[in-house]
Amino acid sequence: METSTEKLLKAKIPCEATGIEVKKAFCTMCTPGEHCGLNVYVKDDKIIKVEGMPEHPYNRGKLCTKGAMTKGYVYSDKRLKTPMRRVGKRGEGKFEPITWDEAYAEIVKQLKGAREKYGPNSVIFATGYTKWYKEYLQRFANAFGSVNYGTDEGCCYKAGGLANMCTVAGGCFPDLRNAKVFLGWASNGAYSTYLNYVNLQAMKARGGKIIIVDTRITPAAQKLADVFLQINPGTDCALALGMAKIIIDNHWEDKEFIENCTFGFDAFRKRVQEYDLERVSKITGLDPNDILQATELYATQGPAACNIPASTLAQEYNGFQTIRAFLCLQGVCGYIDTPGGNLVGAGVTYLGRFAGWNSKERDYLMEQASKLDYTKMIAYDDFPLWSKMCQMYQGMKLPEAIEQQKQPLKVIFGMGVNLMMYPNTERFIKALDNIDFFVNTDVFMTYTNKYADMILPACTAFERGEFKVHPPFFMTYTQPCIQPLYESKSDTDILNDLAILMDIDDDLLKQGYEAMIDYMMDGCGLTVADMKKTPGVPIKVPNARMVPPGMMREKGFFMMPSKKFEFYAQKIAFLKDPRLDPLPSYVDPFGYKHADDYLEKYPFILCSGTRIPNTIHTRLHGVSWSRYIRKEPMIEIHVEDAERLGISDGEIVEIYTDIGAVQGKALVTCKVHRGVVEMAHGYPEANSSKLFNDSHLDPYSGYPNYKASRCNIRKLQQESGKAW
Amino acid sequence: MPYHIVFDPNQCVACHACTIACIDQNDIDVEAGDQAFRTAYNIEIKEGEDNILCEYFSSACMHCTGAPCLKACPVGCIKKDPETGMTIFDNTNCIGCRSCSVACPFGAPKFRKSDGKMVKCDGCYVRVQYGYSPACVAACAFGALTLKNEEEFEADTAAKGIKSILDNVSQYNNVSPVPIRPGK
Repeated sequence: METSTEKLLKAKIPCEATGIEVKKAFCTMCTPGEHCGLNVYVKDDKIIKVEGMPEHPYNRGKLCTKGAMTKGYVYSDKRLKTPMRRVGKRGEGKFEPITWDEAYAEIVKQLKGAREKYGPNSVIFATGYTKWYKEYLQRFANAFGSVNYGTDEGCCYKAGGLANMCTVAGGCFPDLRNAKVFLGWASNGAYSTYLNYVNLQAMKARGGKIIIVDTRITPAAQKLADVFLQINPGTDCALALGMAKIIIDNHWEDKEFIENCTFGFDAFRKRVQEYDLERVSKITGLDPNDILQATELYATQGPAACNIPASTLAQEYNGFQTIRAFLCLQGVCGYIDTPGGNLVGAGVTYLGRFAGWNSKERDYLMEQASKLDYTKMIAYDDFPLWSKMCQMYQGMKLPEAIEQQKQPLKVIFGMGVNLMMYPNTERFIKALDNIDFFVNTDVFMTYTNKYADMILPACTAFERGEFKVHPPFFMTYTQPCIQPLYESKSDTDILNDLAILMDIDDDLLKQGYEAMIDYMMDGCGLTVADMKKTPGVPIKVPNARMVPPGMMREKGFFMMPSKKFEFYAQKIAFLKDPRLDPLPSYVDPFGYKHADDYLEKYPFILCSGTRIPNTIHTRLHGVSWSRYIRKEPMIEIHVEDAERLGISDGEIVEIYTDIGAVQGKALVTCKVHRGVVEMAHGYPEANSSKLFNDSHLDPYSGYPNYKASRCNIRKLQQESGKAW
Repeated sequence: MPYHIVFDPNQCVACHACTIACIDQNDIDVEAGDQAFRTAYNIEIKEGEDNILCEYFSSACMHCTGAPCLKACPVGCIKKDPETGMTIFDNTNCIGCRSCSVACPFGAPKFRKSDGKMVKCDGCYVRVQYGYSPACVAACAFGALTLKNEEEFEADTAAKGIKSILDNVSQYNNVSPVPIRPGK
């Protein structure tokens, strides 16, 4: 029989008898826009369990599948233990352990050498997801003298931010608490950013109406939607513009808002005339009556709020204008800067989030950046809107720039760099031959790390401290829940060490992470030292000030040239670039590929927008708990297509395009469209990005088209399946 | 006071957070091939010619009132926790005969590869005794799994229906569960 202490230990009850302590932290598994409060159960410097933090104002004790995997993630056997140097060929995966001193010496030599020989811009500073250190890295790059700093925002989140900035302001968030209708563009929530789903459940419970537009049947479409529009992939922009026309034709628009608070409505009205119901129905594959029903509900039963998708629809062929179209639709109905519509962000406090005061984040970044010539940035001329508005290169052109070496690019200093985010991934891998030295930090031995010359082990968020803000007015400073495992280090400590070793001309960088936070958070009413007294606990910002909805309607949209909501985007018009249109319009993703033989060769539409609950992007694929939920990459195909091709559920199939092929297990389903093949991205053994061509990048945002491309699918013989 | 872990299929999305929380709480060694005590299902069932049902479920030990596994065990490993009403076990004497698993209409008792002994969901009864929710319930963000005490349970009409089935579950012993395709 178990003793009572043994029972308590097995049940993991935190108390004196068990010695189990609950430490406060936040989850860093998914997007920095989430990061839920976490109760971390620790015994003898080991995490034994996690749970959502009940008192956290953001997640109120809730946690998702990915966050619940924390222990499996931290103690994964795939973790990097020491710095390593490549000894085999690139991609072979052969490395030898080295000491931190050896690693640092080589990095300093390579960075300084390249700067001397080729100039500071020959060193690329790149980061992947979730980049909690990104301010530090950007300032480090700039202090080193390089303008070539870039992030994963080259294909995620930023396109939506740019669309916001060209239309209304930096941020434009749905006010679900007060909305009567929610228009969800490719919004599911059940398998990613789960609190959106929770909020929609609450909205539905109090009688709110929900419209879901998605290419696939999701839990949100099944359980939350009052109207579900199962749209053709890549055609959302046409739907939004068609809805705007219906609203204007029926005089449902908000005339007062349009008259007083907007710019360029007449031009927009003229533009949407091109999107009559018959045409929109044909493009989107939707029943005209369903479109009418959804539009009437949206326009007449409001206020309505809509989501601004970070990557799903931003990665459509014409993703930037798609999101502009969503915003313009909100504008037509006056669902902007009003309770129950989309609230307009008053600024950014830290890492893309507002918490009641404007920090000195921008000053921190500009102190070094203002000394540099940003026109020397990679792809500066290719994406004029991006280059003018983002203080980072558009990374999707990185492979080409490295290939061509028009400006010498010799060293990549990477932190969590992920090659799988690049379309035509193989091209980037080949281009690496032109790079003299590629160093990357990461927690795990990843797909990308196999191609690096040196890898540095970063610790997880639970092994270091981190600052974070949560809307509406909270901030948190965590302390390590456990000591760093193996020889891993905090990313910012690595940068701090290098700043000192290289004697970078920037005292603030040499003082470390906490000095950076103290600099930026000056004025909030607390210092890092204050916050560290209650590690991991959300603290109300003493000097927070709330911006009431309606303020910009009254005082003007201060970030816009016209001080108004702009249907006609002057920030685009000012560029006078023939590639860019100040009004949103739909572009057929297959317009250039309608030749009959191409369609015959690649009859299926390929979409990598599928989200699965157990992974996020390339994260968690190597964690055994995640593989327990879904062992292999799954390729989803409609029941009827599968029957026609003789594909049974669970058989090994291959999807192929003109540039690559990927194998996986067939998941025969009725949830995807006929003629569409879907798969989740990020699998190291089945990288969907290599199927997508990089010849088309969105001219506004530079984003690749991951949501509607052409492919074919075939069944593989069992034998050839074995290799995979 | 007895407690009940109630499942509401209307709220379930098969996100598997319950399964992961079970692995986390019970230190289940999935790399060694051991199984979590709770499983989520994302099911599509063809119903007639044109209709396909898409459903989401989460299942584990139902902690039945007249638990057939308890009666089936020849060495008395399984008993009811008087405080919480959960079906708990002590597998010290387990002979690995699998009678419990055969008797269970839900296939809840599992056999651990490493020691050949039966293990099952114990409803996190010690946690419940100390005022915590079972791990799976705590991890369910969407409200599909909830812990209800007798009073709350009785007040819940939907739950009453389930209870009446569970109270009589021994009658259903010879009925095999609906075949489903897990892991999607």
